[in-house]
Amino acid sequence: MLVMGEVHTGLLQNSGEISESTCRQVLALMAGETVRVSRRPIVHALSPERLTGVDCALPTASRSRVRGVGTVMSRCAVTGGRVAQGSSYVRVVRSEADRRLPWSHYLARPGVVEVLGKAKAADLAEGFTGDSAPGGTGGACLNLGAVSGRFLDLVQASPLLDRRAPFKIPRTSLRWVAETGEPSIRFTLHTEQERTLRLTHPGPFTPAVVDLCEDLATHDWLLTSLLVIVERARIGGTQGAQAVARLAPAIDHLMHLWMPAARVEEWLTPFWESLERRPGFSRQWRSLVDRVRDQVAMNTLALLNATAEAGRR
Amino acid sequence: MLIFAISDKGGTGRSVTGTNIAYRHALQGNDVCYLDFDFGSPTAGAIFSVSAVARGTRENGLHHYLRGECPLPRRVDVWTESDREGLRARPPGAGRLVLLPGSEGGGELSALTDEVVGRCVQLLGRLDEEFDLCVVDVSAGRSFTAELVLAATVRMPAIPFRWLVFHRWTRQHIIAADGLVTGADGLLDVGTRFGHDPEDLRDRIRFVRTAVLEPDAAELVGLRDEQRAWLSACDSELRELAGRHGVGRTAMLGKIPLDPVLQWREQLITDEDVLASKIANAETAAAFEDLAKKIVDDSAWEGL
Ligand SMILES: Nc1ncnc2c1ncn2[C@@H]1O[C@H](COP(=O)(O)OP(=O)(O)OP(=O)(O)O)[C@@H](O)[C@H]1O
Ligand SMILES: [Mg+2]
Repeated sequence: MLVMGEVHTGLLQNSGEISESTCRQVLALMAGETVRVSRRPIVHALSPERLTGVDCALPTASRSRVRGVGTVMSRCAVTGGRVAQGSSYVRVVRSEADRRLPWSHYLARPGVVEVLGKAKAADLAEGFTGDSAPGGTGGACLNLGAVSGRFLDLVQASPLLDRRAPFKIPRTSLRWVAETGEPSIRFTLHTEQERTLRLTHPGPFTPAVVDLCEDLATHDWLLTSLLVIVERARIGGTQGAQAVARLAPAIDHLMHLWMPAARVEEWLTPFWESLERRPGFSRQWRSLVDRVRDQVAMNTLALLNATAEAGRR
Repeated sequence: MLIFAISDKGGTGRSVTGTNIAYRHALQGNDVCYLDFDFGSPTAGAIFSVSAVARGTRENGLHHYLRGECPLPRRVDVWTESDREGLRARPPGAGRLVLLPGSEGGGELSALTDEVVGRCVQLLGRLDEEFDLCVVDVSAGRSFTAELVLAATVRMPAIPFRWLVFHRWTRQHIIAADGLVTGADGLLDVGTRFGHDPEDLRDRIRFVRTAVLEPDAAELVGLRDEQRAWLSACDSELRELAGRHGVGRTAMLGKIPLDPVLQWREQLITDEDVLASKIANAETAAAFEDLAKKIVDDSAWEGL
């Protein structure tokens, strides 16, 4: 019917970026299974996947009760040794049976939630990504965000991290729904930390769609965080040197991480390209980065001038 | 940084001082969050002038969250949700100011289970990722709530935390504040039982005197000489007592003067209250501001 997922993204709680080998250790959630690492164009480490059993109501826009039974697929990721993620998704399918089956049945279908009774894909998609979605505080519905949040906690609580992150910054959540059909993509900002994505892709669902959503979530978080840091710097409202000092964490820890669509399969890149046209992620990113660099350059010039003045006197 | 605000007795000024410190710290450019763990009477909403949660919140309060009744507690953005004109816009350069209200009619925590501690760890860990400062009103006296945060902080060894013990400047309050820290079932006793190092924990505790009337205060100008002499003698006696009880100057982080506005109403003291309407004393605002700096100033927290 559809696939729904939620990605939580945050700053890895460590003073500096962590090495590839530390990434491997931090993400080794399950003994015996290896962490997948890709190195180019940026180090990206992905934990083994884990399942969470669920038997609960699914969110619907119509508020009709729909019961789903199955397992949620979750994993964690660290990008550039600096950005951490918890990500979960379920493939929602109609149950062949009209009652709950033994757990062995669901365990044989990892990441699948079977719907018992009647349900419309549109109703579920709207329920999951609409404004009254299960988000932060809501009730007893399937809450993929809670699962992803806990997976991200798992990474952040790793004893290998020193917890002295260079700046404080909120996590963001991206709630997504993917369906098969005529290609389209819609990215929406809700509150400061909540985003939704509606994706219709040609052909059947593959895990590459999850990679795309995680990649989007990473870049949305980078952009959101850079915006926050630039706002905190109060360029123009405070002394140049002070503003530059406040911008420093962005230069040291974020600005080199922008690698849009780096891990996105060829057939899905048109979706990224469409988001680059509107709302224009990279355009906004570049303009912010330029702004940061200009501030630093101007401040350096001012310092040089001051030094030269002093020398002449 | 997590700051736990506690007092031995009720009504000492813990909430009023804690909220004002949070407010001042946000004005100083930091992202700040205030957690109302005073489950018996969660009134922080009233002090921040957010009438919707003046007595706590009916849904998704901290108490609900700790009991596992909601996945995340409700957040109130003070800069947008306060009813007070002077608070309802984020001043330039100020950081975020977020209140996590308690649950209306929640009642005290009735037991300390592993799940409750786990939820507390989860919440504080996440808030520490995004806020420079989290002020937690732990309520008065020995409580499950105090035990809860002592147990939680043992499980988050890398997250910095400090305790502020509020007390009034009277004999009974000085003795009680000392007892709350060093007495049987006090913070050090319980903290050590949960796995804290007592020396380390001791170094993370400071006292704050509230509603202090200095013998040379303007309020006392009309007093007779005999009265002033008596007050002065009392004050030095109290200072001597405080010293003996480890509540003296070295262990004190700051003191807040008695303020006419706060005597009449629990509220934030804004600069407008001092400069424009002139109802509050400049010394009070300055004391809050000073304390808001000192809580994160390591030199004020060097070993005793
Ligand atoms: N500096 C001050 N000057 C004058 N009055 C004050 C001062 N600080 C607090 N008060 C007043 O003292 C009373 C108690 O303060 P507050 O409610 O903050 O105490 P509390 O310790 O949080 O009490 P409880 O244990 O009941 O929660 C309030 O009426 C408050 O306005
Ligand atoms: Mg109180």
